[in-house]
Amino acid sequence: MPQYALVIDLNTCVGCHACATNCKEWNTQASFGPLSDFDPYGREPQGVWYNRIMSYEVGEFPNTQVFHLPKSCLHCQDAPCVPVCPTGASYKREQDGIVLVNYDDCIGCKLCSWSCPYGCREFDEADKVMKKCTLCIDRIYDESLPPEHRKPACVLTCPARARFFGDIEDPNSEVYKVIKERNGFVLFPDMGTNPANHYLPRTETKVHVDEHLLKHDNPLFLEVLRRHHVGG
Amino acid sequence: MHPPLSLIWFFLTAGTSIGLFTFTYFMEFLTLFGKNTAMPEKAVLVSVVLSLVLVGLGAVGASFHLGHKLRAWKAIKRFHTSWLSREAVFSGAYGFTLLLFGLAYYFKASPFLMHFFGIITFILGWLSAFSTAMIYASNRFVLEWNTSLTVLYYLNMYLMLGSSAFLALTYHYRPEFITTYLFLTFLFLSLGLAFRLAFNIRQFLISRPTINEALNLPHNRPIRVLDTGTTTNNYCTTEFYYKKGKDLLGSMLPVAYILTFVVPLFLVLYAWITGNHNYTFFALTFLSILIGSGIERWCFFVEGNHVQNLFYGLYPQEGYRLRKGYMERKQTRISLYG
Repeated sequence: MPQYALVIDLNTCVGCHACATNCKEWNTQASFGPLSDFDPYGREPQGVWYNRIMSYEVGEFPNTQVFHLPKSCLHCQDAPCVPVCPTGASYKREQDGIVLVNYDDCIGCKLCSWSCPYGCREFDEADKVMKKCTLCIDRIYDESLPPEHRKPACVLTCPARARFFGDIEDPNSEVYKVIKERNGFVLFPDMGTNPANHYLPRTETKVHVDEHLLKHDNPLFLEVLRRHHVGG
Repeated sequence: MHPPLSLIWFFLTAGTSIGLFTFTYFMEFLTLFGKNTAMPEKAVLVSVVLSLVLVGLGAVGASFHLGHKLRAWKAIKRFHTSWLSREAVFSGAYGFTLLLFGLAYYFKASPFLMHFFGIITFILGWLSAFSTAMIYASNRFVLEWNTSLTVLYYLNMYLMLGSSAFLALTYHYRPEFITTYLFLTFLFLSLGLAFRLAFNIRQFLISRPTINEALNLPHNRPIRVLDTGTTTNNYCTTEFYYKKGKDLLGSMLPVAYILTFVVPLFLVLYAWITGNHNYTFFALTFLSILIGSGIERWCFFVEGNHVQNLFYGLYPQEGYRLRKGYMERKQTRISLYG
């Protein structure tokens, strides 16, 4: 069964929030919008977002690393939010594995959000229904768009090209290959949800000064010397 | 978790309704075995009308928890998978058969019909209670709730409310059963206290996930939340983490224990031992259990920690530490009060 998903490269993600912003921009005006905002210019702005970027620091000072984790619905293959929905408004499509909410059937009981260990569903207080990432289903099947634009808004906008989209069950797809080649991992694997969205792990980048940089004829020699030997 | 007042209201009203009907019908049921336990007609009708009104008020109150009240009927669709759907179906059916039982009793229909509706109502009422309890107990992402203690305690609370309400009824209509219901109320109160204590003690022993597990990173790396992508609260931080509640929990939990268990147990034991069957005691017992249970339910919600809070750094801290070359899980460092 096909399973569309996002694969996010944590090694490349710079935490610029462009994916979240473009997601909000697209989805608030598209088929599954609006994503309501409350008090947007006040002291306590709040609103519905399909995608949020969290930033974490790993390690102990001075050996720390910061990484950014864009988190949207993971379209779990064993989605715990689906069976708990009393009306069947929350459902997983068989043809592509995307988890969606039928706003016409949602009664706004919030039980699906209680059953999501990732906190990826948000209740819209204006529409009184639960909202979540749709993987831009209104884009990816839109034949009026050029084929290269039939991707989720977050993938198209990412300036660092940290986001991939495709069928993770298809061995010929790009996402299948990057997950396999770069040890893609999922969030909270112990929860038994089998998330479809994967993350590519950070690899430690070590900066080392090459020999040729220290040669006298290197125009940057003085700069290198100043930084590494004078303590600049 | 943020405590929804409408659900606490539903618990109190449906709990009293189902509990009261249970004991009212139980007394009728025993007459099938030749016992002289039937309550006077007026008492049964008062009890049934009260139960009907309460379950009706409960249903109306609970609907305030929904975003779209008028679509609530759609909740019957996922009966095969959703405990909330089952609760909706069983609660509705309970109210309907309770009405039929009341009509059969009032119009003196054949004993077969009356007992038929009585037994069906009894079963549906308890199925409804069980389904409600399972909504919480089956949620494996709120570890405090994910235990059979949640169900046992929940069902026992219905019995506590029912037996104490029925105790007040026996005072007026069958005083010879006061001692029996004093004993039953005492029994359910003691069981409730034991279950609640076990529920609280268990919270210290739960093996909790860590942020490392949430992010699927090795356990030996300390992780700190730097930024959650928003400058203010969002749905996830308000629905799953109730800061004001966590601050108040330390004061509210003792009050819940005192009102739900200590005061009623004292009153019941006093009346039982001294034989002083004063109606004020019985009314106070019920009221104390009712108010205490409301506060207890509030605490139940606030005590629940959803695992998604890990991503926001709002989950009770627990982790691993390196000890003599192997990873050892740290002691749980949560306090009883959140």
